[in-house]
Amino acid sequence: MRPFSYTAPATVAEAVDVLAASGPGTKILAGGTTLYDLMKLDIEAPTAVVDVHRLTELAAIDTTGPGEFSFGAAARMADVADDPVLRRDFPALAESLAKAASQQLRNMATVGGNLLQRTRCGYFRGGPAFPCNKREPGSGCAAFGGLDRGHAIFGGSDTCVATYPGDWAVALRAFDAVVDVIGPRGERTVAIADLHVEPGDTPQREHTLAGDELIVRIRVPVTSAGRGSTYHKIRDRESYAFALVSVAAGVAFDDQGAVEDCRIALGGVATLPWRCPAAEMVLTGERLTEESALRAGEAAFAGARPGAHNVFKIELGVRTVADALRIAGERAVR
Amino acid sequence: MNAPTRRVDAHDKVTGTVRYGADLTSPNLAHAVFAVSTVGKGRVVNIDTAAAEAVPGVLMVLTRVDASELGSPGFVMGGGYGFQSLQPLLDDRIAYRGQPIALVVADTLIAATEAANLVRADYEVEPIAVGLDAEAAETLVQQEAIPLPFLADIVMGDADAAFAESPVRIEATYDLPQQHQVPMELIGGVVGWRGETLVVHEGTQNAGALRGGLARQLGLDPARIEIISPYTGGGFGQKNSLQPHVGPLALAARRLGRPIKFVMPRTQTFHQASFRPASRHRVRLGADETGRLLAAVHEVDQQTSRHDLFPAIYTEITSRLYGIEHFRGRQRLIRTDVQTPGFMRAPFEHPAAFAFESAVDEVAYALGQDPVALRLANDADVDPVTGQPFSSRHLAECLRRGADMFGWAGRTPEPGSMRGADGTQVGWGVASGAYPASVAPAVARLSAAADGKVTVGVDGHEMGQGIRTAIVRLVSEDLSIAAEDVIVYVGDTRVAPQHLTAGSWGTATALQAVHAALRDLRKRLDVADSDPVDVEAAVAATGQAAVDVEATTVAPGQPPEIIEQSRAGLVAFAGPVYPGFTAFSFIAHFAEVRIEPTTRRIRVPRVVSVVDCGRVASPVTAVSQVRGAVVWGIGGALRERSEVDPRYGGFANATMEEYPIPVNADIGEVEVGFVDEPDPLLNPVGVKGLGEVSMVGVAAAIANAVFHATGRRHRRLPIRIEDVL
Repeated sequence: MRPFSYTAPATVAEAVDVLAASGPGTKILAGGTTLYDLMKLDIEAPTAVVDVHRLTELAAIDTTGPGEFSFGAAARMADVADDPVLRRDFPALAESLAKAASQQLRNMATVGGNLLQRTRCGYFRGGPAFPCNKREPGSGCAAFGGLDRGHAIFGGSDTCVATYPGDWAVALRAFDAVVDVIGPRGERTVAIADLHVEPGDTPQREHTLAGDELIVRIRVPVTSAGRGSTYHKIRDRESYAFALVSVAAGVAFDDQGAVEDCRIALGGVATLPWRCPAAEMVLTGERLTEESALRAGEAAFAGARPGAHNVFKIELGVRTVADALRIAGERAVR
Repeated sequence: MNAPTRRVDAHDKVTGTVRYGADLTSPNLAHAVFAVSTVGKGRVVNIDTAAAEAVPGVLMVLTRVDASELGSPGFVMGGGYGFQSLQPLLDDRIAYRGQPIALVVADTLIAATEAANLVRADYEVEPIAVGLDAEAAETLVQQEAIPLPFLADIVMGDADAAFAESPVRIEATYDLPQQHQVPMELIGGVVGWRGETLVVHEGTQNAGALRGGLARQLGLDPARIEIISPYTGGGFGQKNSLQPHVGPLALAARRLGRPIKFVMPRTQTFHQASFRPASRHRVRLGADETGRLLAAVHEVDQQTSRHDLFPAIYTEITSRLYGIEHFRGRQRLIRTDVQTPGFMRAPFEHPAAFAFESAVDEVAYALGQDPVALRLANDADVDPVTGQPFSSRHLAECLRRGADMFGWAGRTPEPGSMRGADGTQVGWGVASGAYPASVAPAVARLSAAADGKVTVGVDGHEMGQGIRTAIVRLVSEDLSIAAEDVIVYVGDTRVAPQHLTAGSWGTATALQAVHAALRDLRKRLDVADSDPVDVEAAVAATGQAAVDVEATTVAPGQPPEIIEQSRAGLVAFAGPVYPGFTAFSFIAHFAEVRIEPTTRRIRVPRVVSVVDCGRVASPVTAVSQVRGAVVWGIGGALRERSEVDPRYGGFANATMEEYPIPVNADIGEVEVGFVDEPDPLLNPVGVKGLGEVSMVGVAAAIANAVFHATGRRHRRLPIRIEDVL
């Protein structure tokens, strides 16, 4: 624990002012489930904390549609997961939240903060005893030649293969969500696809938001592939565990029963939420069968670069994609 | 008739009335945190505490303690008191990652934590060996390294020759990983001085060792030490001895003149306390064509630390699960750079039964025999090792009743033959288990008061297993008084020596002492030996305010003076071999697994376990014990593994998030049955042990079920999704 200043602005406008005046060591506090955790581990050491978790103007959940659903950044994961309209029209989104963390954590954590959850790589969290380019740029990466069962097989670089741990962003990625942010330079909208970045040579840089920008809301276009969707999460225990492989899948069929719209995104296997356009193409215009679903799974995992202990994620992932597509297909309106 | 059917302290626990060690508070409490080594082995060449000492509120940063102030506690399995002999802070050696290098005491926990993070050390780093196969690990033959009779290899007949001549031979190697106990209550408590008396409040299974060990470490008269541990929030073997934080806390508390609270962070509990060592088992089983087991060889390599020899006692049960004439055990210890491993629930028996009961399953398949029938046909009549009778052995009844409850008759034997409509593979597996029925010396004090209440003070620790409930039931049943009128003190050195409660001897040990004291109490009250007692009237008739009695009991065959060993805080139990008989508890587990056709998740929808633990002393807590053990077995079979990076040492998944103990969603139906036949020889109460045997064989039953489901044999735990893809 290090000393830091604490501010709790009363409005979003005030928060923008506070952030504009803050230095580079500033962190935004929402649910606190990750930030506090990392502060206790001495991985995060902010000089200033700006608390937005009581800003009710950020907590709205709007699933009235018809064109899009909107989730305030400070809405609780548990509240969004329980929204009955979302559960009906976008089961993948609701399930991605319900299958994350524990009930206690979901009661605190926010849907905005969750997007920027940091990796669970044990070498990153283990502190200075281990080299980690993300935590200490240039220090090396202990995951190479180490315990890499949980590490990424997509989107890694020579400096970092730490897995993006979240579920919600994976589901949002499948459905082309956008993120509205506000900062001293005004408001802008970032596609979820442009929010996270691959580690490359700068694994310490995980997203494209500026330090003085605040997530305001997340918007998701309503689509019939959302009705026929699932978030299928395979993990080492049935609850309270990060994904070995997770798949957000959505399908919609045309009048002839062929797949008209297909969405596939992967979690637990990549350094960021991983969309699979090639796999989606495999199914588009085709009938959804066990065979075609497996082909889509194989397309999704083509080009994977496994390490020493996570080769199994390829076979497991192919099957998880196929299962997710089956579940999604059963839910889709025909 | 008055005996309680519920757990007597359930209400107090649920409402938070129960006070655990670290729940205590006082206005002048200080808080302690350890800074720990960030290297796996070597020497501290320089330690910088300036930044730590500059943190406001820091009272003390202790990096070195003189040996004249604090000695080694000695190793609990080597005539000492500590989970390991190594006492940190005595010199500059680092034996394992996570070893404490400094104790920080501050006015607040926050200041102590911050300061501990600011302690900086420079190390001379040495290469490490942390796995069984590490090049620099050192292998010792146990019976040569520790020449004690009970650790010698068990040899009957000529197992190698009999195996070579057996028509059916199974030979296989089984691997089990390091695991941690992860009790809910973190290690720690409050340490302080009342004048010249050291008072320790801490959840433990062994208040006696805390007292004896601190007396040795600090050069104190044991009479000047009080250990108060009325409740322990789960021990599972990790809290079975003196932990190395208590001695330094006692010194710091004396220097500061303030009591100190210490709660070990979860990650440190993986590195500063014992764990289940890795073990490897090579099993050879020979049988004839009828399925009679002719020979068994069970060779074990088990991890230990560099500084202590944690003994391996795996063949004690495998030599007795069946009536096998020719048996040879061999146990070796592999010295590695870790803290000393130790006892974790069914410490030897869970790994041993996984290996041996998997091999027995392999024999059954090799012969095309039913695994239950094969086990029944090979049951032992007498203890094969000593030739003397078992005090009681109802393993066959466990198997028969369990098969019945499970519906075993509906099983089709062919692997892969049972499937769900969606292609789910269904497997049914069985395994037996056994656990030595040990007993320790104990002192019980009973005080019958004029208000009709009876106060009991006895050796024993309540760590959730329900020992208070068992004691209240015994007293209230015996005297026919209300449960509310029985007051129990356990885990408190002010009322009894508080011998280690472990190895499933706690209930038998405490109950036989209380039983003996009840006989004395009846004499002193001048009432008949068995009728209901009006305590209020009987006490009044004596003309005294209260009638106090004290009874001391020992295990069968132990000399009465063994109690002095217990009073010194040393381990003093006996068993399972007693003069004239051998005593074990037995169990049979039946497990169903279901393996998804695609993503291959293994589910365990149901387990049936039937136990022979002698008389069931407390049905509600007994069922709970067995259910909890089955949960552990599922975790051991399918989930838990303490991950080790051989380059760094220590344990990599040292948190509740990353160490995959099962969650509720992992557990299906667990049905429990008891033979409930009193053991006629072990003690007058008729109870054997329960907590440990309940876990023995669960993992084997699950692995055997996985084989039945898939036709694939898994000889390494845990069986994870990548193993069955």
